Amino acid sequence: MDQLVLAIECNPATDIVCTPASVNELFETPVVFSIGGFDVNRAMLLMLFAAFLAIALLYSAYRRPRLVPTRFGAAMEGLVGFVRDEVAVGIIGPEGVKYFPYLVSLFFFILIGNFFEITPLINFPITSRMAIPMFLALLTWVIFVFVGLKKHGLGYLKETLFPPGVPKPLYLLVTPIELVSTFIVRPFSLAVRLFANLVAGHVMLSLLLVSGFVFLTDVFGSGLSLGDRVFRLGWGSLWSLLGMAIFLFEILVSLLQAYIFTLLSAVYIQSSVHVEH
Amino acid sequence: MEDISGALAVIGYGLAAIGPGIGIGIVAGNAVQAMARQPEAAGMVRTTMFLGIAFTEALALIGFVLFFLA
Repeated sequence: MDQLVLAIECNPATDIVCTPASVNELFETPVVFSIGGFDVNRAMLLMLFAAFLAIALLYSAYRRPRLVPTRFGAAMEGLVGFVRDEVAVGIIGPEGVKYFPYLVSLFFFILIGNFFEITPLINFPITSRMAIPMFLALLTWVIFVFVGLKKHGLGYLKETLFPPGVPKPLYLLVTPIELVSTFIVRPFSLAVRLFANLVAGHVMLSLLLVSGFVFLTDVFGSGLSLGDRVFRLGWGSLWSLLGMAIFLFEILVSLLQAYIFTLLSAVYIQSSVHVEH
Repeated sequence: MEDISGALAVIGYGLAAIGPGIGIGIVAGNAVQAMARQPEAAGMVRTTMFLGIAFTEALALIGFVLFFLA
């Protein structure tokens, strides 16, 4: 909390909401320790923690599968089964089982990374730093290009860049558009979608909750007139309530964005597996 | 009267949000219509709806990122 209050400047006497000097300040995390000039900051530790949590959750749920699963086991089976049936097999088709391990790791890592946004005491979504969404999107990009080239050879590029059934002169227009949209816009929009959603959520949550906190604690400040106290109480409760409403909304966004990232990865892989449609 | 101040980027983002807003409305509205007409296809329609929303939303989100870059 101290850190957030420090990053966000606020004067309850004149302002009605607290704003940071620059939004970047909300996304800079302190360096925890350095190894020979290589700084390890909080975001990196959280990233490792998210990976560890994803592995631990899946391992503990599937180490000894039971005929009648425990409540935790049933919840994990529900999520994993959803990714397998609805995303991997549902989108890619029967051969989607091959890509299911990648998709399920992707889903759990992003889900946990997103949930860090609303986890008390962590309050920092690791997916709101562009490095992680961009890396995951590039991974998907490498996979779908590799699968296409492996499965169809150069026919993959031919089918993608020169879709059949188009009048010959139109290829002048269609080919550059397909080139840009398939190989440049796809990974970019995949990464930006996750990143921007989490940035927006983190900014809204931190501004509203910190504003609410600052205004409500200032209600009991010394030397204030009754009007001033009512003013602070009013704005403070408004920002707190709005912050809590958005807190609930962010649970939905975290789940949905993890699902959409996995779903789109599956759709892109599918477009390489079945290049003809 | 006070001077109007602020960044042009804010107006830019507001404009960038119009199109995707309308687009998502059309996608979701038609998905609801499809689900009401054919409830047995609801699962497939929902997946496709999320895909459509994801593609439409990308434009608004790129506008949002540019707002911070500007």
